[in-house]
Amino acid sequence: MTAWRLGLVLLAFFAVLIVAPGWVAQQSPFDLDPARALQPPSAAHWFGTDDVGRDVFARVIHGTRITLGLVTLSLLIATAIGGGLGIVAGFAGKWFDLAAGRLADMVQTFPPIIAGVMITGVLGPGAMNLVLALAVIYVPTFFRIGRSAALAEAQLTYVEASRAAGFTEGSILVRQVLPNVLPVLVLQYVIMFPLALQIEAALGFLGLGVVPPTPDWGAILEQGKNFILVAWWMSLWPGLFVLLSAAAMTLIGQGLREKFGR
Amino acid sequence: MAGFLARRLGAAAIAALLSSLAVFLIMRAVPGDIVGQMLGQSGGDRAAEEALRAFFGLDRPLWSQFADWLGAVLRGDLGRSWYQGRPVGVMVWEAFLVTLELAVATLVLATLIGVPLGVVAGITQGSRLDRAIQSFNLVGLSAPVFWLGLMLLVGASAALDWSPPFAWSGPQEDLADNISILVLPVISLAVLQAAAYSQFVRGLMIEELGKDYIRAGRAKGLTPAELYFKHALSNVMIPLVTFMGLILVQILGGVVVIESLFSLPGLGRLILAGIQGRDYPVVQGALFFVVIIATTINLVVDLLYGLLDPRLKP
Repeated sequence: MTAWRLGLVLLAFFAVLIVAPGWVAQQSPFDLDPARALQPPSAAHWFGTDDVGRDVFARVIHGTRITLGLVTLSLLIATAIGGGLGIVAGFAGKWFDLAAGRLADMVQTFPPIIAGVMITGVLGPGAMNLVLALAVIYVPTFFRIGRSAALAEAQLTYVEASRAAGFTEGSILVRQVLPNVLPVLVLQYVIMFPLALQIEAALGFLGLGVVPPTPDWGAILEQGKNFILVAWWMSLWPGLFVLLSAAAMTLIGQGLREKFGR
Repeated sequence: MAGFLARRLGAAAIAALLSSLAVFLIMRAVPGDIVGQMLGQSGGDRAAEEALRAFFGLDRPLWSQFADWLGAVLRGDLGRSWYQGRPVGVMVWEAFLVTLELAVATLVLATLIGVPLGVVAGITQGSRLDRAIQSFNLVGLSAPVFWLGLMLLVGASAALDWSPPFAWSGPQEDLADNISILVLPVISLAVLQAAAYSQFVRGLMIEELGKDYIRAGRAKGLTPAELYFKHALSNVMIPLVTFMGLILVQILGGVVVIESLFSLPGLGRLILAGIQGRDYPVVQGALFFVVIIATTINLVVDLLYGLLDPRLKP
């Protein structure tokens, strides 16, 4: 249980950085100053400066909102679309279930990162394309979870009873099946978060993420790799923040799983 | 067994066909093709543009372009790269050998580290050692693979004053060079997969050790070694094989980033360069190959599962 608490503490820390990055990092993440380029960490610049003299601490702190926000948004879209379609497929079945299942198979024949490279590579860099790619990658996961949960739910007596009582299919689906399937989707959301975060960071690192000079952890790492042997501090911190936030969500996922008894 | 195999093969073939079609359409869905890249800013010469499009077959309807490509693939011909003029089949195969060496070395290292760690953690559940191994798992699963690679580069340079060679050499050309190029990428990939293994095996061991037959064996006077390694571990082997397939597919994906970081001429770099240059035959051929490999791994795992577990034999 201590691990679960550590996860919550870390999450609270990142929540502060998301809500008030300017309160933690006083300097601007955008101000250039070639005169102070590639300086190692110091009292003035805790995480050092990058190749154009921007404060790495400010960039990493302000990057929290961008990186975690993009992952949060993409997974919300994937949950809504994938989970929604899955519930309908599991509940209604028939041709819709079959067609959607084949489409999910198709997306999942690609290793996730390769699907991400393909979509962002073709569409070009940019936050919206990144969100689209991540959402497409994870829609099938939520589709399957929603489908199997709804399938199990549809066979329970209360659904049959509601039907006998004269409720319409739509109302059974929305008012009764959905609330019962929702916790399963939420748990899956938390479990997928660290995985999606790794893909987000990897795409940023390949230069396929957000457009510069947006401070995104993956993008900072991409910039840092060219200076890795002269300025390690450009790469150490953003990677460490990815590690910590992924670990936080993993711990919370493990805790939730224990609570749900799965 | 034959019916099962036929059904699985059928589903795999449909998925591969659909995904090839998806790749084909996505590549052509956005403006900007090879002709645009070749003519660049000089544009405006409509005649040259149209001639080039006709040369690449881009002026024909989409369905006929796809049918031609698919027909050639079914005859074993992936076409030629629009940039290099070399057969895509050869380029993909050369890149695959690099990726394969990386993936197999990673799988071996990850198995050698991860499985023993998981077994030990499972046996000593709740101990300080178990907690230490679980911390390793958490860090290994959370650290970005390419970031580990960067940190290893810094560490090797600071501590050993050593950096891997820049130019690629295959194992037949210069084995020593080949190994020194691959050592850092393999370690960075293997940490993640070892952590995944260890986590998975720990859970399996704990589940297995809680079963009645273990208690019966203990009562019978079996030594812990016999209990753990002869009985528990042999039952854990079946899910482990499935997991190995999963890991191998994950490694295939993970190499894309690592190949880019360490400049290895593998499949990931081929795909990335192909997409950026709008070299359709290369992208379509390489992704088709990746899909076939990933599907085959999954299929083999399913078959092995049936072979290892006598209860599943029809």
